[in-house]
This record gives sequence, structure tokens and C-alpha cells, in this order.
Amino acid sequence: MEPDVSIESMCTIRIAVIPIGQISPSLFREYASLLTVHSKIDLSSISSFYTEHQKSPFTHQPWDSGCLRFKFILGGSPPSPWEDFQSNRKILSVIGIFHCPSSPDLDSVNDQFSIVCKAYNSSLAQKCFGFCPGDEQLKDGNRRQDNLNLFPPADRRTLEMHMHNMMQDIAASLLMEFEKWVLKAESAGTIVKTPLDSQASLSSEEVIKAKKRRLGRAQKTIGDYCLLAGSPVDANAHYNTALELARLTGDFFWYAGALEGSVCALMMDRIGHRDPVLEDEVKYRYNSVIVHYRKSFTQDNSQRVSPVSFELEATLRLARFLCRREQAKDVVELLTNAADGAKSLIDATDRLVLYIEIARLYARLGYERKAAFFSRQVAQLYLQQDNRFAAVSALQVLAISTKAYRVESKASSARDSLPENGPSPVDGGKLNPNSIVSLFESQWSTLQMVVLREILQSAVRAGDPLAAWSAAARLLRSYYPLITPTGQNGLATALTNSAARLPSGTRSADPALPFIRLHSFPISPPEMDIVKRNSGKEDWWAGSAPSGPFIYTPFSKGDTDNNSKQELIWVVGEPVQVLVELANPCGFDLVVDSIYLSVPTGNFDAFPISVTLTSNSSKVIALSGIPTSVGPITVPGCIVHCFGVITEHLFRDVDNLLLGAAQGLVLSDPFRSSGSATLRNVSVPNVSVVSSLPLLVSHVVGGDGAVILYEGEIRDVCISLANAGTVPVEQAHISLSGKNQDAVISIAYENLKSALPLKPGAEITLPVTIRAWQHTTVDFDTAAGRSGGLGRQSKDGTSPMLMIHYAGPLGSNAESTAENTILPPGRRLVVPLNVCVSQGLSFVKARMLSMEIPANVGENLPKPPPLLDNVTESSSGSNRIERLVKKDPYRGTWGLRFLELELSNPTDVVFDISVSVQLENTTNEDNSTDQEPAEYGYPKTTIDRDSSARVLIPLEHFKLPVLDASFFIKEPLVDGTSSGRNSSFSEKHAKAELNACIKNLISRIKVRWESGRNNTGELNIKDAMRAALQTSVMDVLLPDPLTFAFRLARDGLEDDLQSSATEEGSVLAHDMTPMEVLVRNNTKELIKMNLSITCRDVAGENCLEGPNATVLWAGVLSGITLEVPPLQEIKHPFSLYFLVPGEYSLVAGSVINDANEILRARARSDSPTEPIFCQGPPVHVRVCGAP
Amino acid sequence: MASTACFMIVSRTDIPIYEAELGSALKKEDAAQQHQFILHASLDIVQDLAWTTSAMFLKAIDRFNDLVVSVYVTAGHTRFMLLHDSRNEDGVKCFFQEVHELYIKILLNPLYLPGSRIASSHFDTKVRALARKYL
Repeated sequence: MEPDVSIESMCTIRIAVIPIGQISPSLFREYASLLTVHSKIDLSSISSFYTEHQKSPFTHQPWDSGCLRFKFILGGSPPSPWEDFQSNRKILSVIGIFHCPSSPDLDSVNDQFSIVCKAYNSSLAQKCFGFCPGDEQLKDGNRRQDNLNLFPPADRRTLEMHMHNMMQDIAASLLMEFEKWVLKAESAGTIVKTPLDSQASLSSEEVIKAKKRRLGRAQKTIGDYCLLAGSPVDANAHYNTALELARLTGDFFWYAGALEGSVCALMMDRIGHRDPVLEDEVKYRYNSVIVHYRKSFTQDNSQRVSPVSFELEATLRLARFLCRREQAKDVVELLTNAADGAKSLIDATDRLVLYIEIARLYARLGYERKAAFFSRQVAQLYLQQDNRFAAVSALQVLAISTKAYRVESKASSARDSLPENGPSPVDGGKLNPNSIVSLFESQWSTLQMVVLREILQSAVRAGDPLAAWSAAARLLRSYYPLITPTGQNGLATALTNSAARLPSGTRSADPALPFIRLHSFPISPPEMDIVKRNSGKEDWWAGSAPSGPFIYTPFSKGDTDNNSKQELIWVVGEPVQVLVELANPCGFDLVVDSIYLSVPTGNFDAFPISVTLTSNSSKVIALSGIPTSVGPITVPGCIVHCFGVITEHLFRDVDNLLLGAAQGLVLSDPFRSSGSATLRNVSVPNVSVVSSLPLLVSHVVGGDGAVILYEGEIRDVCISLANAGTVPVEQAHISLSGKNQDAVISIAYENLKSALPLKPGAEITLPVTIRAWQHTTVDFDTAAGRSGGLGRQSKDGTSPMLMIHYAGPLGSNAESTAENTILPPGRRLVVPLNVCVSQGLSFVKARMLSMEIPANVGENLPKPPPLLDNVTESSSGSNRIERLVKKDPYRGTWGLRFLELELSNPTDVVFDISVSVQLENTTNEDNSTDQEPAEYGYPKTTIDRDSSARVLIPLEHFKLPVLDASFFIKEPLVDGTSSGRNSSFSEKHAKAELNACIKNLISRIKVRWESGRNNTGELNIKDAMRAALQTSVMDVLLPDPLTFAFRLARDGLEDDLQSSATEEGSVLAHDMTPMEVLVRNNTKELIKMNLSITCRDVAGENCLEGPNATVLWAGVLSGITLEVPPLQEIKHPFSLYFLVPGEYSLVAGSVINDANEILRARARSDSPTEPIFCQGPPVHVRVCGAP
Repeated sequence: MASTACFMIVSRTDIPIYEAELGSALKKEDAAQQHQFILHASLDIVQDLAWTTSAMFLKAIDRFNDLVVSVYVTAGHTRFMLLHDSRNEDGVKCFFQEVHELYIKILLNPLYLPGSRIASSHFDTKVRALARKYL
């Protein structure tokens, strides 16, 4: 069998091209390539070399359109036993090629060439070409008359032209030789033999038969020469004769040969014209050829030679002729038959050639899988031969077949599919089940494993370590679940062995282990947060995407269209990390010598690390690097140095694999051992690198640990900020976030402001005043547990955070086109104010205490509370009350109310409590210098550890001067009634007003504590106070509608200037004592009432009435009807005569007639008919005995 | 029963979704692989041939050495491929038709993703029973 047979190969002249002397193979190929371009020489061009010696037997030679075809066989070939049968098998010419510098002696070259030529006795023309001759050789060569031709050094075009001339010469001489041969054969007759003809002596009958046959065979051979000479018409004539003769003599083999020749002649004649009629003719004739070859098969010589190969060759020729998609069915039939014929081929090489041809034809038909199948058969035949070259061939053939089995190396697939960059089916996370299936279209795992194993085997045998490594890597990576642990170990060993024979630093396109997938791009730590700068805005950080833990927040604005992918910003010169997950699903420990991020954009310095993965394990590792220049960065995978070879592992491949694993389409999930069964969809953010930014780092002066504060403690915390970047900070802004923001009382923002721009390396201190908040037990635990760490610990804690937005300088051209330029982003530094609140003073309860301090009756009246409109009086300095409680028993009585706070100290330190009350200065309207509200302090109360103490807060100076409806109804009613006086006022309003009053009241009371040297704070007892005050606020705030006072009117003087301290207020017994009761109306209404006065002794007995009354009286003491005008006083004089010295108390009481709503509300009377009784506090009178 | 037979179901997307060595002959791993190789190669021929006829049973479409490939193409272009060495065409046809019914039952399973591997042991048992019956 011969390779590459076609119908046209019948008419090509074979020329052996032989290297002569010392010549390197590459040089020989180069020189030969000059020859091989001239595989077709037109007859018209050789006429100048052609001389007609005799009358040419090729009468119909087409000199104008015909041509001679050549086939150059480099290195020559041994003579075929079948060359008599098909003359195109003969080597009809020999061309020697020698390299002059290495073969200086032309004579010896000539000798060698003639020796070579002797081997080819069928050769009709010989030439020997020398290249690159020296001057001497050139001179020598010109003199010689033999076949040596020297080509002076020249460029390739010139050489090709020379060669063309030479070929024309050879063609002409061959043509003349053909003529000679045909003339000789026609006249003398020639004996042609094939191995089919039995070697045994012929019987007489056979001799006669042979003589008859000889004629036909001669005609066939002449026809062959006609074809070679490029004269199809002549050939056809001879073939027809031969066919006739062969049919007559039953010489089927030669008949088939002649028929084949006639088809070739037909094709030659109709060259360039291809029509269905011709095709049918060729098909018909060739089928006949095949049938006749089959007929010629005889049993007797089947052991030795067989015409089967001719039958197969004819089949292949026809198949090649028909080989088009439309004829696929016929071609497949032919090729299937041919493949069947392989069994009857004796020679293994023939079978090899047959399979190669079948594979080629299938491939030409587009039947990739068929072609791959036969390629694999070829490879198996090669592998049966036990030598290295066969293994190399097997490797190459298998490499071709990998595409059909879809196990091709990435190196070759990248070459093929580089232009088409179609969308990957996993784009955008949306998946169509069909497209997933198509990802794993090639799931013929058994076949794939077999092919890869054969590639590995042949690569090892062929000594190609890289191919072996690649095959083993593909096998291990893709099919590890199907391979036993022993097999996996074997593959690992194969990988190591192959790598040992490779130079270090070899790269392979096919990744082996481990499997690598992207775990996450960690967002930058909070102290390095990057915030987009919003150009042209004062608060440039506002509106930028929140870089919190949520990708989507319901509060973000609706620009979702460009938010589909997360954005990530890296900064030049600042190290970044990417987390990847490695998995080793195999049964051996995997040592990854180095792994680092692969960044094709080139603006990234990746830091390699080495990892060891135990069997069946996975690991998340952080790969880091430093961006080096501004621009976008993509991180498609990792570069891995493992098993001695450097490979690139793309994340996408593993993602696809995992996708398939999730669908049950691929064998196994390599990350199974990591425990996450669900498919993780890591979104790869768009990473861009920006130029250097400033970087503020903060630490709390005095240690970064949490500041431990007692509840309510106020403390200054100094935060030191330093610029650790290379760019100055030009803008900075501080805001608060997190819980307990109101705990931060003040931030010395000016400190920061004045330090701008903050140069690299500069440092400033920022004092922040914090008041500790309420202690909760949970907080204590978590804070205690985390107090050692830094960073995020307080993010979810209760501590407030300072957010410092800062930015470097604007771009250089920012002033010109501020809108268009993209500003370098700013940064956000989150400084957690790590405050650990520990329990301080604890508040037990608060309650209202009321007490009445009885006044003595004297000549002075208690000072009336200052009226709002009585400005002149209250503005005098003496009017100011200097102390919280001014107890003057002679100045009347007040119902004092105290807020009692019970505090306990569960800590182990001592607390000092001081209470202060802030008074609203009513006079600040006209006395602008006296802006500060008066404050009054108590002496400190010390509470020892583990003790409780009570603190009294007098609620004295809060009373309003006038009981007024406006207190209840400050605003007009909502329902629009013109006057709300008689209508019932809205309870809601009353409540709101009350609350406001209480709040106002509470806010003026401060309870501060001190402990140790520098712990001070304020108790937060507002809620407790509110609760305590809620019920009795009316009593605290509102004055009684009527106030009563008694006065001695001994001298009939009404002035109260007399103030003898000693005898003041003493009343003598047995003396008529004139007294006055003063009734003051504190409302703005006229009050009508019935006043009555009683006097009681120490025992509480009424002394004025009853059987044993001890006091005589003059005047009216009961049932006094009075009308008190608003905000006025009325005196009612009377006299008492005490019979017995001692202590007495006078009480004035009155029943108010026609009380209005306000009074009722004040008195808390429910029914409108109930009389309202108003009683003053008792007033003491000391009655002395007579002197 | 045929001495050598290998049955495969190949999905529309050329993925083998079921394979079974049905032969009574001695099971050799090499042979099984070779069977798959032959069937894989035959897909090229099936893909052209399936469109030339309306019949589902394509008869013997390919052969290698002594092994014949018979193919049955369902309406959904799922291919049942049988590699056998017997010439019992009727039996093969009946076998294919019965397997088709089984396959449709598999398809009716709402949990079965068309085009994925058929892992049902029940299906496997039935197919092997059919093979014993018809081949």
C-alpha cells in the first residue's frame, strides 16, 4: 500500500531526491524545497529542451495544454515489486543534492551519485545539483560534462528560476526517454511481470496463455507511459486495446489495472471539468475496477502476495475522488469496506497506511469522530512497534485526535479558538440548563481517559516530558474520581518524573492540581475604606456607594443599572489580598511550590506563597500583592508552580466544573471536602487601581484598649491621627455613626481643620469628650471578651464610631475641567471609640416627699412669690435666693417638696455626689449681663462602696407665680371654639404641657458624681425623676389658688419693717392680740369664698369653740364671705385672747364658691357640684405667760 | 443472544447518558473501551443519516471488524446505539422499541433533567432483561 493515493497519482512521474555527501537534514530539506515547488511542468515550456529524434509515438500529445506531473520522493524508496504493473510506481528519475562546502571534491560526489543511481535501475534521467559552490568548484563544474550542476549562490528567487530550468530540462529528457521506451516496447514487445504471476515453471498451456496475455499487458504499460508523458488520448487508446486483450485472456488483474488507467486518462482529458456524468462514469468504472481486483484474488498465492492492497487502493482512490459532503454515504460505504479489508492485509505497515488514509478521508469529509477513531487505530499500530520514532508518531497522531474526544491540551485549543471569544454560558449568573449540559458535551469519560492514558504512554516512550506532563495533568485533574488512589499516586509520580526531565521554569498550558476557585475579594479594612469623591460637592462622600456589608441596601438610590457589578478600588503601592480556595481531592499530599495571582494586565506585583494540601482537603488562603500602576486589573486566575511545572489556573474553569457538579453532570465536586455543598456564586468585582491616596491611621493616646468608664462618666479621649500615606490629606470631615452617638459630647474638629493639609508622616491629636452611656449586662460581657482586639470589634458593639472622610489633593487639572475629570477617591477612616461601660452608681428609686414647715406668726408676712409683671421688685439683688432652701420660720410657710433619690454603690470605689439645680433666671430679659442661670449646689454626699445613700433634691423654686388657665391652655384649641375657657380643655394638650414642664424641670436638676482622681460624671436619672414627678407635678409646679398668712397687728402698724429678732412672734397670754389673716388670690379670676379661721392647741383640740375653749376671740372667725380680686390680697382683722400660754396653731380655710374649671382641676375635684375647700398650712403661735 | 453487544444512549448533545455491556462474552475492559470508541465514531454517520429517513430505526449503519452498529433515533434526537455481532435485525428493532418506551418513562419523571445521565437501576434492569429477550 502506498500513502496518499488518488486517481491522479497514476499520471505522476516519481523522482527520487537523494542527499549526496555530507549534508545536514535541514539544509537538504531547504534545497529540496526549491525542487518540490516544480511539481508540474507545462509541456509548452519544455519544447525548447525537446528534440524529436524519431517520430513520436505520442501522436495526440497536447503540447499547448498538457503538462508533466512530478512527485518528489525525498530520500528515495526501495523499488516496488509492482512497478511493472503500474509504471508510476517506478522511480523514473534521480536527483542528487549536495552541499558544496561540505563536499569539496566534485569527482567523489559524482562517484557517489552514480553509485546511488545504480540502485534505481528504472531511472531514465539523473541529475546532481550542488549548492553554494566555491569559485574553484564553479570553474571545475563548468568544465565537466557529467550530470553535475552547480548553482551559484543567489537569492531564493533566482535559485528557483534556475531550478525551474533544470526541471524543464529533466522533463524534456524524460519525455524523450518515454518515447524511446514506447517505441522499443511496441516493436520488440516487453515482458512485464508481477509478483502475482506464479514463479513456478509454467505448464505448456499456461505458456500459451502467458503469450496472449503479454500483448495486453504491454499495451497497458504503454498506456501508463502515455499517461506519464501527459498524453491521455494516446493512453486511452492503448488502454482500450489492453482491456480488450485482457478480457479475452481472463487476465482480471491487468484488466482492472488498465481500467484504472483509463479512468485516469479520462480524468486527465477532462481536467478541470467536473460534472455528475463524469462522476457517475468514474464511479461505475471504479466499481468495476474493485470487482476485478477482487476477482483476481486466487487462493493459491494468497499466502505470498495478494492483490487486496490494489483493491483497497482503488477503493481509497474512488473515495478520495468522491470525498464531498453530498457523497458522504457512498464514501462511508467505501471506507467501511476498506476498513474491513484491513484484516486481510498481511503487512502491518500496509494496515497502518490504510488506517491513515481512512482517517484522512474521514477528516476531509468532516467526520471528526470517525477520523479520531482511525487515528487512534493508527496510534495503536505505531505503539505496537517498539521504537521511539513510532512512539513520536503515535503521540502526534493522538494529539490530532484529542480534539474529537475533547481532551485537547489547552495550548492547542487556545490556538484554534483564539478569534472566537463568545460569551461564556455562565455569564451573568443566569443559566440555561441546556447550556450547562453543553458545557459538558464531551462526557465520554471512558474514552477520554483511554486517550489521555495512551498519550501519556506514548509521550513517555517518545521521550517528550512536557507532553507526558500535560497528559498526566489533564488525566488527574479531570478524571481523579474515576482513578483509584494508587492510580492517582502513579500519575503524581509520572508528573514528577516528567518534570524532572524538564528545564526548571517550564510552563504548561494544562493545569494539574490543585483546584482553585475564587473565595472572595476582601473589602478593605475599615481604616482603609475608599470612598468615591463626588466632584463639586462640599460633602463629597455623600451619595457614594455604601461600602458596608450589604451590596444592596433598600435605601440606596435607584441607579441599579450600573451597579450590576461590584466595584473595588485598589491603591497603587498598598498591598491587597484576594482569598482563594484550594482543593486537593486526590489521595496524596500535594505540595504547591508557589502560588500567586495571575494578572494579565501587568500592573500588579503578586507575592508567591507555598502551600501544602493534605489528601482530600481544601484550604482558603490569602494571596496578596501590590498594584503598581493606575488602570483596571483583572484577576482571572492564579499561576501555580506545582509538580515542577508552572501552570495558570483560571477560576472560570473551576466555576464551570462546580456548576456541572451541582447539576450532576460532572463526576465530582473537588471542593466537597470543604463542606459547602451549595454552589457559591462569587461575583468578581471590577477592580481598578487608583493613584496613591493619603492614609490616616489612628490610635487612641494612652493605649488602644477600650476605655473603661462608669455609667455617666465624662472623659476626654485623645485620638492621634497620622498620615501614613505618601500624599497629604487636604480635606477632612468628621461625623459620627454607630450606636450611642449622643455619648460623644464634643469633638475638637478645629484641631483637625487647622492641621490641614496633613503632610505625609504628620500627626495630630484630636480630643473627643465622651459621656458613658447606660450600662447593660450584655454589653459588658461582649466588651470584656473583645477588649483585646482591634478593628471591627466595636462595629457591632455599642460604642460610637468617628467617621473621618478625608481626601488627598484634587487632580492637577481639576481647576480647568472640574466636571469631566474623575477625582481621585477619598477615604474613610472609622475610628471606633472603644468604650467599655462598667456599672457605676446605681439608682434604686426616686420618690416625692412633701413636708410642711410650719411658720410662726410674726409681724412679717412671708414674701409673696415674685410676679411676672412685678419686675422692679424681683430685679433687686436682695431678692435673689442664695440657697436651695431658705428656711425662715417667721416668714411664712411653704409646702416643701423633695425628690428623694436612693442610690446605691455596688462598685468598689467611693463616689461623691453633688446635686445642683439650675434656675431659670426670670430677669434675663433686662439684665443681659446676667445670662448664666443661677446654680445652687448642695454639699457633697459621699457614698461608700457597697453602700446606699439618699439624696434629697428640693423642688422649691419651680412654682409658677400665678395659677392661670394659660398653663393648661397655652394654645387655642384645635377644634376652633373661640374661647376655651368654659369648654373642657383637651386632655391631650394638658398632658403634653405637663410633659414639657416635667422635662424642663428635670433638665435643670443635675446629679454629678466624682470618684477617685479623675472620674467624674453625671447620673442619668431622668426617667426615674420623671416617673416620680408624674403624679405630683401639679403640686410642685402650680401654686395654690389661695394663700393664707397670719400677722400680728399689735401696734396697728401695717409695715413689716419691724424686725426684732428676739421677741418676734411671741404673744402674751391674757392679752388681747390683734391679728390679721391675709388671703391672697393667686389666680387671675375673682374668687368668692367663705373664710373661716380655727385655732388649735397642741393636742389638736379646737380652742375657740366647745365647752373648754381656752381662747377668746373678737371679730368674725367663721363664715366670712370675701371676694378676693385677682392677684390681690385681702386682710381680715380679728383679735384673739389666749387664756393659757403654750403653743397654738392657727389655720385658715375657705370654701370657694362658684369655682371655675381651673380651680377644680387644681383641686382635683371630679364632680362640678362638689365644694372646693382650700386650706392654708397651720401657723404656729407661741403664747408666753405673763411676765 | 449476541455474544458481544454494547448498548448506549446518547443524548441530543452527544453525551452518553446510559451505557451497558450486554454481551454474554467474557467482559474485558479493553473490549468495552473499544466498543465505546466504535459507537462514538459512529455518531458522525448517524448525524447525517438521521435526516435522510423518517424511520426511527436506522438499521445497521456502521461496522468495524465484525461488529455492527445499529441505531435508533428518537424524535428528540436521542440516539440508542447498539453494537452487536448478530444479524437479527428484527430482534434489534424490537429491542429498540421497547427501550424507547422505557426511555419515555424516564423522561416523564419530573426530577429527570433531559440530557443528564440515567441513573435508574430499574431502567438498567429492564434494559438488560430486554436484551436477553431480543438479542
